[in-house]
Amino acid sequence: MALAFSDYLSLLGGEALLTGLALVMILIGLFMKNKNLMGILSLVGLVISLFLVMGADMTKGPLFYGTLEVDALSQFFKLIFVAVALIVVMAGLSRYKDSPAQDEFYVLLLLATVGMMVVASSIDIVTLFIGFELASLATYAMAAFDREKQNLEAAMKYFIFGSVSSAMMLFGFSLLYGLSGTTRLAEIAAASVESMGPATLVALLFLVAGFGFKMALVPFHMWAPDTYEGAPTIVTAFLAAGSKKMGFVAAFKVIFIALIALRFEWYMAFAILVAITMTLGNVVAIWQKSVKRMLAYSSVAYAGYIAIAFVVVGAAEHGGLDLSVAQNGLASGLMLILGHAFMKTGAFIAAAVVGYMALSEGRKNPDDLEQYAGLGRRAPITAFCMLIFLFSLSGIPPTAGFVGKFMLWGSAIDSGLVWLAVLFALNSALSLYYYLRVIMYMYVREPAGGKIIEPKGYVLAMVVALVVVLWIGVFPQAFVDFAYSAAEVLLH
Amino acid sequence: MIPLVLYVLLASAMFTIGLYGLLTQRNGIKLMMCVEILLNSANINLVAFSAYLPNVNGQVFALFSIALAAAEAGVGFAILITLYRLYGTIELDKINALRW
Repeated sequence: MALAFSDYLSLLGGEALLTGLALVMILIGLFMKNKNLMGILSLVGLVISLFLVMGADMTKGPLFYGTLEVDALSQFFKLIFVAVALIVVMAGLSRYKDSPAQDEFYVLLLLATVGMMVVASSIDIVTLFIGFELASLATYAMAAFDREKQNLEAAMKYFIFGSVSSAMMLFGFSLLYGLSGTTRLAEIAAASVESMGPATLVALLFLVAGFGFKMALVPFHMWAPDTYEGAPTIVTAFLAAGSKKMGFVAAFKVIFIALIALRFEWYMAFAILVAITMTLGNVVAIWQKSVKRMLAYSSVAYAGYIAIAFVVVGAAEHGGLDLSVAQNGLASGLMLILGHAFMKTGAFIAAAVVGYMALSEGRKNPDDLEQYAGLGRRAPITAFCMLIFLFSLSGIPPTAGFVGKFMLWGSAIDSGLVWLAVLFALNSALSLYYYLRVIMYMYVREPAGGKIIEPKGYVLAMVVALVVVLWIGVFPQAFVDFAYSAAEVLLH
Repeated sequence: MIPLVLYVLLASAMFTIGLYGLLTQRNGIKLMMCVEILLNSANINLVAFSAYLPNVNGQVFALFSIALAAAEAGVGFAILITLYRLYGTIELDKINALRW
């Protein structure tokens, strides 16, 4: 089916707009003295792009010679990516106000978002790899953005680990191409059903390693806490919420679509990986003094929770259970991804406010837990938002975190993985300890200083994230339906 | 014609060399070289497979990946230069404010 140019524009309008905007911004940024307009420009661009993504027709066929597809799955993730970028830009309005390099920040952010959107849409390993790299390269530069010592170290680690993971991914892709003779994911799947051998397993191993780095699954997680702690805090928010979710969508696409034949083989190995990931993330998070580092380890634990979806699908296939079990598992994984994206962004932005406050008062260790003492009185909006985000992360209703965790827990039991469900519940209980400790500092400890004026951009960003987290928690039905139709795309 | 398995062996050897270098070296430039070796081993695979298959997708993929490797080197060296200006060294084990 040949599509007209106008179809391309209506289906991929969001990506086209953001790419164009980024290129225009980098050009006019050369000639402008006062660059505060740039933030507004990218804000407007992202809002329009959000509507374009929502309005795209999901029934039209593949685009660009069968390399990009617009379906429920791709739109689900694109909405997350654009919304997260939007929230980060709002925070950026305060963080990089009057900065001479702010145009570059927004351009990199927009290009990274485009890369993630391409990954979400791609049904061909070439486009998937290009989108993945576009997003990665932009985020490497963003992690070094403030050019402080800590930033550079974080960026260097992120760069080395990131490029090794890309290389592993590429090597895995090259083996898949050699085995199947095609770069289309669907055809690779058909070919690997026909002839599955040890070489396919080797390719899978490389791919799991490559994606595992981005998803921060143990044992590929070691870069994440360092990078999340060292990068500028709002960039960390983008990494945890955007970049990591890109790893998940790529893994969903490749592991489910391309390697259907291997589902039987890997689910137990993955279950063990998941169990280790969530336990290690939570246990190490308990010992952290830095709130940013604690949130980073909680992010590792969340990677484990979300990856339960893979295990549920594998177990459902293996046990010959109804397809609906697999769909439940996948949809609940998607709901947890959605919830986690917003609550983690919000929590990191709240941490950015505290860091800003501590630095403006000339104190050392801006991320330390001590800085949160009496935050409820010093910065009431930030403290309240942080409270809700932490409740959501620990899975207390009525928040997005509760919906995702509850659904995932149920689907783990349905698929017969009771031990994993129990471990999941125990881990959630364990995580409550370190989340509550922050809340205790914020509301029980005596404040260490007077009330502060919270920067408007940060407040706007946190309130938007807060509204979304509560909205998903109170009226989850529309999101759940969307997640189910996205899961159907993967499983049919 | 050279058998395909030799190409795959060469690529695997290069991949192993690159990975070994990444684990043992601590100089920023050497690490970048190792990453390039890793990427190029995958490129050899792609082109070799493509020559034995009835399509050229692999060669196109290799061209894209060469371009991406260049961009990656650009970003990497930019980070290294800034790192050098701040720390005065690119020996990464000397840079450990965070735990390396």
